[in-house]
Amino acid sequence: MQPDDVSRVLAPALGPKLLAVEPFAGMAGRVRFERGAALELFPRVRDDLGFRHLSMVGGIDWVDHREVFYVVWSDAAHQYLLLSTDVPADNPRVETASGVWPSANWHERETWELVGIEFDNHPDLRHLLTPDGYEFRPLLRSFKLHEPEELEVKTRHV
Amino acid sequence: MTTPAPLLVSKPAEPLALGVDLPMVDQPAVPFIEIETLRAKEFIPAAKEALGSLIAEQGQAKVIRPVFNWAGRNSLFPLHWGLACCAIEFAAAFGARWDAERFGVVPRSSPRQCDVMIVNGTVTWKVAHKLITLYEQMPEPKWVIAMGNCATGGGPFRTAYSVVPGVDKLVPVDVYIAGCPPRPEAMLDGILELEKLIRERKE
Amino acid sequence: MSEMWINMGPQHPMTHGLWNLRVKIDGEMILDVDPEMGYLHRGIEKISEDRHYNEVITLMDRCCYVAGLAWEHLYIIASEEALHLEAPERALYLRVLCEEFQRLASHLMWYAAFVQDIGLMSPFLYGMRDRDLILDLLQSYTGARMTYEYMRVGGVRSDLPPGFTDRTRKVLDWLNARFVEYDQLCLGSDIFHKRCDGLGILKANDCVAHGVTGPMLRSAGVPRDLRRDRPYAVYDQLEFDIAHADTADVTGRYLVRMEEMRQSLRILRQVVDWLDRHPGPVMADQLPRWLGAPYAPVGNEGYLLKRHYPKGLGFSAVEEPHGEAQAYVVNEGGEHPYRVKFRSPVFANISAARQYLIGYRVADIPPIMGSVDVCVGEVDR
Ligand code: SF4
Repeated sequence: MQPDDVSRVLAPALGPKLLAVEPFAGMAGRVRFERGAALELFPRVRDDLGFRHLSMVGGIDWVDHREVFYVVWSDAAHQYLLLSTDVPADNPRVETASGVWPSANWHERETWELVGIEFDNHPDLRHLLTPDGYEFRPLLRSFKLHEPEELEVKTRHV
Repeated sequence: MTTPAPLLVSKPAEPLALGVDLPMVDQPAVPFIEIETLRAKEFIPAAKEALGSLIAEQGQAKVIRPVFNWAGRNSLFPLHWGLACCAIEFAAAFGARWDAERFGVVPRSSPRQCDVMIVNGTVTWKVAHKLITLYEQMPEPKWVIAMGNCATGGGPFRTAYSVVPGVDKLVPVDVYIAGCPPRPEAMLDGILELEKLIRERKE
Repeated sequence: MSEMWINMGPQHPMTHGLWNLRVKIDGEMILDVDPEMGYLHRGIEKISEDRHYNEVITLMDRCCYVAGLAWEHLYIIASEEALHLEAPERALYLRVLCEEFQRLASHLMWYAAFVQDIGLMSPFLYGMRDRDLILDLLQSYTGARMTYEYMRVGGVRSDLPPGFTDRTRKVLDWLNARFVEYDQLCLGSDIFHKRCDGLGILKANDCVAHGVTGPMLRSAGVPRDLRRDRPYAVYDQLEFDIAHADTADVTGRYLVRMEEMRQSLRILRQVVDWLDRHPGPVMADQLPRWLGAPYAPVGNEGYLLKRHYPKGLGFSAVEEPHGEAQAYVVNEGGEHPYRVKFRSPVFANISAARQYLIGYRVADIPPIMGSVDVCVGEVDR
C-alpha cells in the first residue's frame, strides 16, 4: 500500500481535514490530519483501509505545539501506518481512539500522564505509570532532569 | 537419543570455609561441639548442666548470643521479590549452577518469615512506601542487602524523576553489592559478608 | 457471598516483577481485574532525551532485562534510520545472532518461572541450567551476562572470538536434545494439564482488538511474526517457520514458545554457518567521528562538540521474545535524540487482562499470568 492508496480512500470522506499523506520509510505513509477529524478518520482507517490493530499512541512536545501520533498495523497489507495530528500547547485535547481500537486505552492513559494530552471521552483516564496525584508532566521539554537532591520536590510524593 | 556431554559448565567452586563453625574462636566453648559424638539422651542433660554452669559463670548474653548468631546466619531467609533487572541474577543464583541453597538461603514469599531483604533492583518513589511496609513487617532481627548500583545509589537512573537514589534513603542497609547487575557470585559474596556481620553481632 | 477487591502484588510470587493485580472476587470467582503498573517506572524515555545516541543503548538493556539484545536491536534500527546510516552485512547477521540467542534465553527464563507457578520444581533447575549455557556464549563475545551494550549505531562493537561458532554448534545440539526432556516434564505431567488446559482463553479477534501480540496472538491461531511479515535485518534470507497453535489457552502458549525455541535453533545454525563463511567489517565506515566507537578521537573531544546532523524520523518494529516491540526516534539534528517512544508488547498484553482473567478462579491466576510472560521493566520503562 502506498501513500496514494491511503489518500484515495481517506480524501473524499475527510476533505480539507486531511492535511497530507506523506511517504514514510518502511510504512504505508504518514497521515497528517486536523484533530477535529479524529472520529471520522479512525473508523475509516480501521474498516476501509483494514488497519485493525493499533500498536501505540504517543505524544511529542514541540514546545509551541504538541503532536499526537498513532501507529496502526494491517494484517492484509503487512504494513504500518502512522497517523499524526497537532494540538495547541495551551489546549491539548483530542478525541479518544479507544472507542475504535480498545487497545488505545492504556496508551492514552500513558500519553495523558507523561505528555499532558487530554483525551476527550476516554473511559478511564487515570494515572498508570506515575502515582495518583502526581502533578508533573515529565516528558514535556520544560521538565528538566537534575541531580536527585534538587529534584526532591518533583519526586517525593509518598 | 545421544546426549552430548555438558560443556561450559563452570568448574565446581572451591569448597567455601563455611559449614558448622562452632564454637566461636573467642567465645567460651559451649558443649554443642559434642553434638555429633554424644547421643541425644546423654547430650541433653550434659548440655543443660554445662550451659547452666557457663551461664552462672559468664552471664546469659555471652553464652546464648553466639548460638543464636550461628543459627541465624546459617539459615538466612531472604524476601522473595523481584524489583528489576538484578532480580534475574538473584533468581540465577538459585538455579542449578550457583545453588544458593547451599548456604541455607531460601527465598520466602511472606515478609513474616524473612530475616533479610535483598533489594534487587531500582526502587522508585511509587514503591517506596510498600518497601518500608514490607521492611516493617519483617520480624527482628532483620538485615537489608542493597544489590546492584540502583539500590546502592540510583545507578544509571540516578537522574530520573521517579527513582529513589539509593535504598538507604528509606531503610538501613547492611551490605552493598556493586554491579549492574552483580553476578550471582557477587550476590553470594554479599550474603557471606552479611554472615560475617551477624557473627560479630553482640546485643 | 460478598464481593471484595484484593491486591495481588506488588510483592507476590505470581507477579514475577513489581506490579499489582487488583482482583475483584466473589468467593473463588474473578469478577473484575485492574492491573496497576508503574512501580518500576524509571523514566527511560525522558533520560534518553538527555543522552548521546550510543548512550541510550545502556538504557535499552535495562529496559527489558530478559531480552536486552532484542531491545538494543530495536533502538538501533530506528536510530540508524533517523540518522541515515547503514550497517555492514556482517553486523546485521551478528545482530540476528544476538536476537535469537536472546529469544532462547528469554524463553528459558520464562519456562523456569512459569513451571514454578504451576507447582513443578525441577524444570526450574533445568531451565536455568540451560539458560546459563547461552549466557556463557553471549558473555564470550559481549562480556556480560545480562546487560550487554553490544550493538552500536552503525554496526556492532566487536567481532566474535575464535572458536565461537564451534562452541555454539555444540550448545545448539545439546539444547535440541534437552527440549524433548522439557516436553516430557511438562506435557507428560497430569498436574500441568489440569492446571493449564482451557485456561486464560483469548480468541484471535479479541487479541487484535486489544493489541495483543507475540506468542499470545500466535497461540490463538494467527501466525503473525514480524520476522516474516515485515522482515528486518537479514531475516528475509533465513529459513524458519512461524510457530502457532489454535487453542488460545495457556497450554497453547507453552507449545508456541517451545516450538519457537526450536525454530531459533534452526535460525542460529544458518547464521553461524554464514558467519563462518563471510568475514568482514562489523562497523560502518564513514561514520561521523563522534558516533563510531573505533574511530572516536582520544579524549572524546569530538563527542563533546555539538554536531549537526540531517533531521530525520526513525521507526522500527522488532519481534522480541514477548511480542511486537516498536521504537519511534525523532532526530532534530543534535547529538541527543529529541524524543524516543517505545511500544512494549507486554504493556498491551497486560492491558487486555480483563479479557482473559474474568470468569476464572483465583487459583488460575498464576498459570494464566505466567503464560503472559510479564517483564515489568519494559511495561513501565
Ligand atoms: S543495578 Fe543495573 S541491573 Fe541492577 S536493577 Fe539497576 S539497572 Fe538493573
